[in-house]
Amino acid sequence: MSINPPLSPGDKLSTGAESPGSLAEAAEEVHTAYTLADSKPPLDEEVLKVENLTVGFPTDDGLVQAVRGVSYTLRAREVLGIVGESGSGKSVSSMAVMGLLPRNARINGRILYRDRDMLTMRPNEQRALRGEKIAMIFQDPMTSLNPVHTVGDQLAEAVLAHHLVPRRAALTKAREMLDLVGIPQADKRLKAYPHEFSGGMRQRVMIAMAIINDPDVIIADEPTTALDVTVQAQILEKLLEVKDAVNAAILMITHDLGVIAGMAHRTLVMYAGKPVEIGGTDSVFYQPRMPYTAGLLGSIPSLEGEGEDRLRPITGTPPSLVHLPSGCPFSPRCPLATEVCRETEPDLVTVGEDHRAACHHSDRLAEAEDPTAFFRPDAVRAEDEGDEAEGTPGTDGVSRTDEKSEEGR
Amino acid sequence: MTPKNTEEPVGVGGPGTAAGTDTLPASNRDDAQGMNVVARSQGQLVARRFFRHRGALVGMILFGFVLLLATTSIGWGLIPGWWDKSPTATGPLINGGRPTLGVWPEFLGGGGVAWGEHPFGQDDIGRDYFAVVMRGTQVSLLVAFLVGVVATAVGTVIGACAGFFRGWTEAVLMRITDVTITIPTLVFAALVATIAGRQGIVFLGIFLGLVTWTQTARLVRGEVLSLREKEFVEAARSVGTSAMRIIFKHILPNVIGVVIVSVTLAIAAAVLLETGLSFLGFGVQPPDTSLGRLITDYRTAMMTRAWLFYWPGIFIIAIALSVNFIGDGLRDAFDPRQNRVRN
Amino acid sequence: MLTFIARRLFVSLWVFLAASLVMFVLAVNVRDPLSEARQLPDGQREAAIAALTERMNLDEPVFVRYFMWLANALTGDLGVNRQGQSVNALLAERFPATVQLLTAATVLAIIIGITVGVLSALRQYSGLDHTVTFVAFVCFSLPVFWVGTLLKQYVAIDLNDWLRDPALAPMVILLISVVIGLACSSLLLGDRRTRLTVFGTTTVGMALLLWALSATRWFADPGLGIIVIALTAVAGAVAFTTLVSGLDFKSPTMRAALAAAAVGIICSFALGPVLADPSLLTLLLLIVVTVGVCFGLGWYIGGELFRRSAITAAILTGLFTGAVIFTDRLLQAFAAYSAHSRIRGRPISTIGPSTPNFDGTFWELRLDSFGHLVLPTMALMLVSLAVYTRYTRASMLEVMNQDYVRTARAKGLNERAVVTRHVLRNGMIPVTTLVAFDIGTLIGGAVITERVFGWKAMGLFLTEAIEQGDPMPMMAFFLVAGGAIVLFNMIADIAYAFLDPRIRLS
Repeated sequence: MSINPPLSPGDKLSTGAESPGSLAEAAEEVHTAYTLADSKPPLDEEVLKVENLTVGFPTDDGLVQAVRGVSYTLRAREVLGIVGESGSGKSVSSMAVMGLLPRNARINGRILYRDRDMLTMRPNEQRALRGEKIAMIFQDPMTSLNPVHTVGDQLAEAVLAHHLVPRRAALTKAREMLDLVGIPQADKRLKAYPHEFSGGMRQRVMIAMAIINDPDVIIADEPTTALDVTVQAQILEKLLEVKDAVNAAILMITHDLGVIAGMAHRTLVMYAGKPVEIGGTDSVFYQPRMPYTAGLLGSIPSLEGEGEDRLRPITGTPPSLVHLPSGCPFSPRCPLATEVCRETEPDLVTVGEDHRAACHHSDRLAEAEDPTAFFRPDAVRAEDEGDEAEGTPGTDGVSRTDEKSEEGR
Repeated sequence: MTPKNTEEPVGVGGPGTAAGTDTLPASNRDDAQGMNVVARSQGQLVARRFFRHRGALVGMILFGFVLLLATTSIGWGLIPGWWDKSPTATGPLINGGRPTLGVWPEFLGGGGVAWGEHPFGQDDIGRDYFAVVMRGTQVSLLVAFLVGVVATAVGTVIGACAGFFRGWTEAVLMRITDVTITIPTLVFAALVATIAGRQGIVFLGIFLGLVTWTQTARLVRGEVLSLREKEFVEAARSVGTSAMRIIFKHILPNVIGVVIVSVTLAIAAAVLLETGLSFLGFGVQPPDTSLGRLITDYRTAMMTRAWLFYWPGIFIIAIALSVNFIGDGLRDAFDPRQNRVRN
Repeated sequence: MLTFIARRLFVSLWVFLAASLVMFVLAVNVRDPLSEARQLPDGQREAAIAALTERMNLDEPVFVRYFMWLANALTGDLGVNRQGQSVNALLAERFPATVQLLTAATVLAIIIGITVGVLSALRQYSGLDHTVTFVAFVCFSLPVFWVGTLLKQYVAIDLNDWLRDPALAPMVILLISVVIGLACSSLLLGDRRTRLTVFGTTTVGMALLLWALSATRWFADPGLGIIVIALTAVAGAVAFTTLVSGLDFKSPTMRAALAAAAVGIICSFALGPVLADPSLLTLLLLIVVTVGVCFGLGWYIGGELFRRSAITAAILTGLFTGAVIFTDRLLQAFAAYSAHSRIRGRPISTIGPSTPNFDGTFWELRLDSFGHLVLPTMALMLVSLAVYTRYTRASMLEVMNQDYVRTARAKGLNERAVVTRHVLRNGMIPVTTLVAFDIGTLIGGAVITERVFGWKAMGLFLTEAIEQGDPMPMMAFFLVAGGAIVLFNMIADIAYAFLDPRIRLS
């Protein structure tokens, strides 16, 4: 991904660990709504580069191709959103970056952290990066903390795993981090156990744990999915805030486009283990060039519009990852699918400035006034030979898609 | 994966991955199955997982064999069996009562495969030991079954009530369980068996069941406690479903796995308990015999006529081992969380 | 925490009282105590019945008798049996042997069972795991009395015969070496080649060692000697350090552990006269001193950065070195013990808890009780061993799939820290409850085991009482056994609460 987004280069990345004082100050400065616009812009420096990553799991039924060739670049201080349904390979690819996949996973490709390939490193070198340079925040804060150790111990443990410092120093650092993520009475809370925290507070602890070693990359795997809606925004805001406090880049994995909208500089959409669209978040959101992205955007319930117009779900379910259909994996569900879609799988092609999509019909989306309208239940399905973007309404759209997919096999 | 035809696809992710489902019509699904599992009824899924468990399968065959041998060989009550000797009839000692069963084929240098006149030999008064052991097996199995069924029934009811009603009911039932646990099972069983043993083996089985239900009660209670917090039970409660209906319609069908597993484990434990008690002289009383009694009776004969000691022991182990393996297979089958990671 | 214990105590007390009532009602009804007296000739019958009725209060209602028993029991008087002997005296005589047997079986079952269960879980679906699973199932299914009889008839006799002329046949050497080699290689993770190498070296090494021991007739007059003691202690230091903080020969932790081993070895010389025939108290004192000295070593050498791990490693190493020295002393006493006039070269006994009228040094007495305990303990602990193994394995596997273990890995902890600090710590919580469950089973098993091995201990005490319909000894047995069960349940509950903060604070 060589195309750089038109963003102004930010300040120089400060080297070395932030002193505790400045971290606390940073926490105080940003008190109210903290948005992407307020946060420090990305730098040109590439911290993480994933090249043609594939992950497979052997099972009784065959090799599950969970990830089929993912490439992306994460620059310092950048937020990259990865969006997809469950099973699209977004979590598996990030777990591969962390080196946390089960032993039976078959991983290929390259995962470069500052030009060092993590896949060919010795296990101990990889472990040294884990939690120190690349940290992770998990989906469910209720189960991600060990119930039998105090929060302070679990935070300190992360420091002690990488630094030869006295336990007391590690606990001091832990307290600073709790301050930073906005947990009141940090001194007291250090001695508390996870079950004494609410879900939102636990996720703050997880964030504190992720940033405690000033990492370069934070992988946040659906960090707000398990939380109350009211807490979600606070957590996201906090994430952006701490990102600037430690000058980290964030890999934001989610199925919720709403999360990405205010959070990510760039967005990668995944489907069936492959990236199908990547670009600046604004271009992807306002000019989707892949019907799946358009479908996802259409499936966000909106307050505007009337009746069926308010919610336009994508029909059908994602394909099997063992026996993928030939051609574009989205074609069975795609209202624009034609013969060519069922025969050849499209590659990512440049469709705009810093914007690439994998679709044979991206031009038709570009022409459409409202790309999400294709998923309207009454919208006409594109004819194989038809040029009309919008035709006469049909009533059997859904079943016809299925029939076509059947013929296509 | 066996292609099934008419059912709906359900999304079941494989270990470590999330996998979707496909929308292909049934006729096309044969090769395009992938990670999708075709919906089967709960029973079919359980059966499928059970038969994949090698230990369970072997246990099943072994148990079936022992059961068949014990029930058909010397018959039951008035029903005659295929073995012509009776466990009570004495006869002349042949060759010092040595077993005539041969299992080493001649080409391996053994004495040849043979069944013979007295396959398990004869005891000191010339009874056919095969018939005697079969009779002992019958009694031990019957007692163990009774214990298993009674213990599971009592344990399930107590556990389910304690788990569901909470409050006072739970407190009282769990204290009753605690009291039962406080008396060592073998001691409790020995006392009860001495009192009940005089009434015959059926009573013995039932009474032993009445002192061994605690494990099941705790298991079932734990399961019910977690079930009653589940959304579907809450949903049923919120629409005003009666407690009885919730128990029978929503909770019991979901604890059935735990219950079935605990029946098998209770039976395996009961075989050992009954034989242990009989060994001490508190279990099955003469003229009835059981595998445990046989071992006590012939313990001293061990150095001179070892077969009298071995055969009942082998049958006890065969029964307990096969039932344990069946239980393990059932547990795996009912509890998909323990599904093995395939690699 | 204190209120928790107090509440727990209160509930236990009531449960225990209720159980004693149930037990009493059963005990007085188990058999008619007058049945023998009724068969006496006319003249003696009435007198005998009257005497028994008087002694056992048979003319009172059951509940009155219960409260009479309870009142007496509370003052420490357990009544008299049918023959009029004091139950207290009988109990005191029978009690120690059973406690010895139960303690040995419980401790061994817990240590071996948990260790094997953990290893089995860490190497899930390996050959080791499958073997352990199968053996555990077999152990579950073995009748104690059958195994006991087999051990007694074959192992004891054959082992004693063998000890007369302790030479190992080449086939036996080969078999033992291959089994140990297989066990070692299956513990490893790694590719086929490393495992084959490990298998090869362990098997060959073991075979050579066994051959040397056999050729020098070591088994007839065993002992370790200072070189073996030193090597073992150092190996222990390295192993414990690896376990506590990872293998690093330059770390203060390693230095502390090695220092502990060195101090231990020096002490074995310095304390030579004391160790020649110590008392149990001396040994206990030595243990306490060892822990104290090692704590100091760890504290001092570990410094601020490594204090915790250094102290742990030093104490473990110190105790281990002590155990090695203890073993050496025992082994050294073996030849003299075996030649003793009351033993006559048959050290593995099959009857009773100790050799009657045997007297010797501390070590010889230990060997004597060891020789008597080894077979009954083996028979008794098989079932518990299987239970602990299976349960630990299941618990560990469950924990290994938890999210917080993944978090621990994501922090960059090494595998050792993940396993010890997260998996093991959490996996042991449910295992504590097993201790309470298991003690009841063990007590039952002990009654049977004692019968097999002809021990005049608690088991016989109980079975005789049931046979004769004699309630007072039964109640005494219940007081001890039920008391143990209640106590273990409480310990388990408190341990659970101690290990799991979610319970502790609620």
